[in-house]
Amino acid sequence: MKKMIALSLTAVLLAAAMTGCGGSGGSSNTKTTEAAATEAATEAAAAGGNYVFLDETLGVESYAIGFRVGDEELAQTVSGAVQALVLNGTYDAIGEKYPDIKDYLCLNAEDIDESTLPEEGSGDSSYTFKHGFDLDYPPYSYLKDDGSVGGFDVELCQAVCEYLGWGYEAVPFNWDAKDMELNAGSCDCIWSGFTKEGREDDYTWGITYSNNTQGILVAADSGITSLADLEGKIVGVQTATSAYDMLEDSQADLAATFSELKVYETYTIAYNDLKAGAIDAIAIDMTAGSFLIASDGN
Amino acid sequence: MSFSTMLAAMGEGMLRTCAIFFLTLLFSLPLGMVVMFLRRSKIRVVREVTKIYIAIMRGTPLMLQLLMWYFSPYYLFGLSIRGYRFPAIIIGFAMNYAAYFAEIFRGGIEAIPQGQYEAAEVLGYSKTQTFFKIILPQVIKTILPSVTNEVITLVKDTSLAFTLAYNEMFSLAKQIAASQTSFVPFVVAGVFYFVANYVVAFVMERIEKALDYYR
Repeated sequence: MKKMIALSLTAVLLAAAMTGCGGSGGSSNTKTTEAAATEAATEAAAAGGNYVFLDETLGVESYAIGFRVGDEELAQTVSGAVQALVLNGTYDAIGEKYPDIKDYLCLNAEDIDESTLPEEGSGDSSYTFKHGFDLDYPPYSYLKDDGSVGGFDVELCQAVCEYLGWGYEAVPFNWDAKDMELNAGSCDCIWSGFTKEGREDDYTWGITYSNNTQGILVAADSGITSLADLEGKIVGVQTATSAYDMLEDSQADLAATFSELKVYETYTIAYNDLKAGAIDAIAIDMTAGSFLIASDGN
Repeated sequence: MSFSTMLAAMGEGMLRTCAIFFLTLLFSLPLGMVVMFLRRSKIRVVREVTKIYIAIMRGTPLMLQLLMWYFSPYYLFGLSIRGYRFPAIIIGFAMNYAAYFAEIFRGGIEAIPQGQYEAAEVLGYSKTQTFFKIILPQVIKTILPSVTNEVITLVKDTSLAFTLAYNEMFSLAKQIAASQTSFVPFVVAGVFYFVANYVVAFVMERIEKALDYYR
C-alpha cells in the first residue's frame, strides 16, 4: 500500500516538474503534463493516499541565492561555480539524493556557456564562505537523522566551496532574522529554498537553481477538489513562506473566501492539525509538502 | 505599510496576548493554591503524585506542554480537536503556572512560625479561621515579590502560544517584519512587553504598599 502511494506521488511530482523551469525548452508541453498530473493525483487518491495536492496550484516560484545588495562579484562567482557543477554532473548527483527536489531542478548543461565560468580551485583558499540557511526547511536545509546539517542547498553550497577551494561554514539562523543576519555579516548569502519573486530589489540575486510550485494539500477523502471548494474552509500555512506571501498578495482574493487562514510557526504543526482534522487544507510548496507526506509514512 | 497600519495590525495581537495573560492568571492562581494544599497533604500518595506533577510542569518546556495538551485528545483518543486551540493554550499555561505558584505559596506558608498556629489555637480559632484570618494575610505579603516575578515572566511567555498557530502579538510582529523586511515591528513588540511589565510591576508595588500595614 505504502509503495503504491509513494509511486503515485512520484508520478505527480514528475509530471508537475516538467511544467517548471521556464526559459529555454519545457514550456511547450505544459498542457499535457498538467493533464498527467491530474491523472496521477486521482490515481494517488484511488490508491488510498491519505493526502493529495489539488490539481490547481497557487503559482510557480523560483529558488535562487540571495546576496547582500551590491555583492555582485560574489554572486557571480558562486553562480558560476554552480553552473560548473552542473557541467561536471555534481548538481544532478546531489539531486539524485533528494527525490522530492530532483524533478524541480532547472539548470541544464546545454544552456551553460562554459567560457565564463570560474575554474576549479580558482578561489582564495583562505576565504571561508558563510552559508546562511533555515535549519527547519527540509528537504532544502535541515538537520539530518545523524544530527549533522544536510539538505540539497547545504550539499550544493558545500560542493561550490569545494570546487572553488573555499572553506565552508554553516550558519543556521532563525528565518525571521535572516535579513539582520545577512546585513550584519554573520552570513554571506541566504540559500535555503529562498524565493526570488517579490524580493527582486531586496537582494543581489545569484543563479536560479530550482523551481517550485505552491499547491494546496488536502485529505484525499475531504471532497475538496478545486480552489473554489476551499470556500468556508480553514487553511493552514507557515509564516514567512512563499505560500503565505501568495495568499496575502497575488492570491488574496482566494484567501478571502476561506473561513480562516491559520498561520503556523512550522508546517510540522500544521500537518498534525490537518491529520487531526482541525484544519481542512494546507497551502505549501510541492517539494516540502511531498516531503511531509513521505516522511509521515515512516 | 505605514506605522499606523502596522500598529493596528499588531493591536489585535495585543488583545490576544492580553487574553492569554488574564485568563492564565485567573485560573492558575486558585489552581496553584489547590496544588499547594495537595503538595502539603498528610496522605503520602497525594503528596508524591503532586510532586511528580510539579516536577513535570517545571522540568519540561512549556512549548512541548502546549503541544501535548492540544494534540493528545486526538492522538490518544481520536477525538476531534476543532475549536479546541484556545482552550488548550489556556489549560497549558494555567497548569504550568499553577505548578510554579504552588511552590511559591508553599514557601510562603512554611515561612510562618509554628507559634502563630499555637497562639491562634489558644485564642480559640478554628483551623479554617486560622488559615484565612491569620496565616493567609501574612503569606500574601511575603510571596508578592516572587509572584510579581512569575507574572512578568508570563507576559513574555505568551509568545509561546504561536506554537499552536495562535496569532498573538509577537507572532504578528514576526510576520510583519518578514513581509516588510523591517525591524520596526520588533521594536514595537519590545515596547509593548516593556510597558505591560512596567504596569504589572507598578500595580504589584502598589499592592505591596497597601499590605504593608505594620510599618
